[in-house]
Amino acid sequence: MPDHWGYVLFAYGLAAVALFVYWRRLARREKELDRT
Amino acid sequence: MTRVLGWLAVVALLAGLAVGFGVAPREVTQGNVQRIMYVHVPSVLVAYLAFAVVFVASVAYLARRAEAADRIAHASAEVGVLFTGITIATGSIWGKPTWGTWWTWDARLTSVAILFVMYLGYLLLRGMVEDRERGARYAAVLGIVAALNVPLVHFSVVWWRTLHQPPSLLKPGTPTIASAILAALLVNVLAHALLYAYFLAKRVRILRREQEASA
Repeated sequence: MPDHWGYVLFAYGLAAVALFVYWRRLARREKELDRT
Repeated sequence: MTRVLGWLAVVALLAGLAVGFGVAPREVTQGNVQRIMYVHVPSVLVAYLAFAVVFVASVAYLARRAEAADRIAHASAEVGVLFTGITIATGSIWGKPTWGTWWTWDARLTSVAILFVMYLGYLLLRGMVEDRERGARYAAVLGIVAALNVPLVHFSVVWWRTLHQPPSLLKPGTPTIASAILAALLVNVLAHALLYAYFLAKRVRILRREQEASA
């Protein structure tokens, strides 16, 4: 079976983006709370 | 403490990538696309853990009305939804080259989609009810009911004939996968569990501060 590296990169990339976006959201909310 | 947990998770995730791509061999039948399993399987196991925490915290909240338990349930559900979304997305991406389709309504995929929607509903419910105590009570009931779907998701591949393969981990007897692949899976499960703990601690702290600010 071919290796399909494109799918592997897609899966890892998507997971990394989702985790990073969630982490950024939490970090921003914490900064907002620090300011108030 | 939370910061240490975060750095531990980063180190463990890097170790997971190194083991998953550098140590684990190319799988004979599927080829390198099987390496998607080092994200997919840990994500679903951590989602199970997250929803089990929702269950326990919801029971604790209903029994003692402790706001800390409610915050843990809320935070864990949110992180669980994140990891369930990653599970569904990475599984779908793996399915296209392996099964020839992005999606099929087999028992595992359908039950995990229902689980995802149930916890999305849980988070929506929390946002909809204005009275915090009432919202927490409704959410606790839904958190307990939705968690009953977790064993259904896990054993769906045993109870019904599915395109999805039976479980490789969390099954009776010794694992039937190669030791190098098993090691890569376990390192990544640990990394994802640390990341879950980090997100949970951070989200719980934010919820506590939001409640203090609005009190």
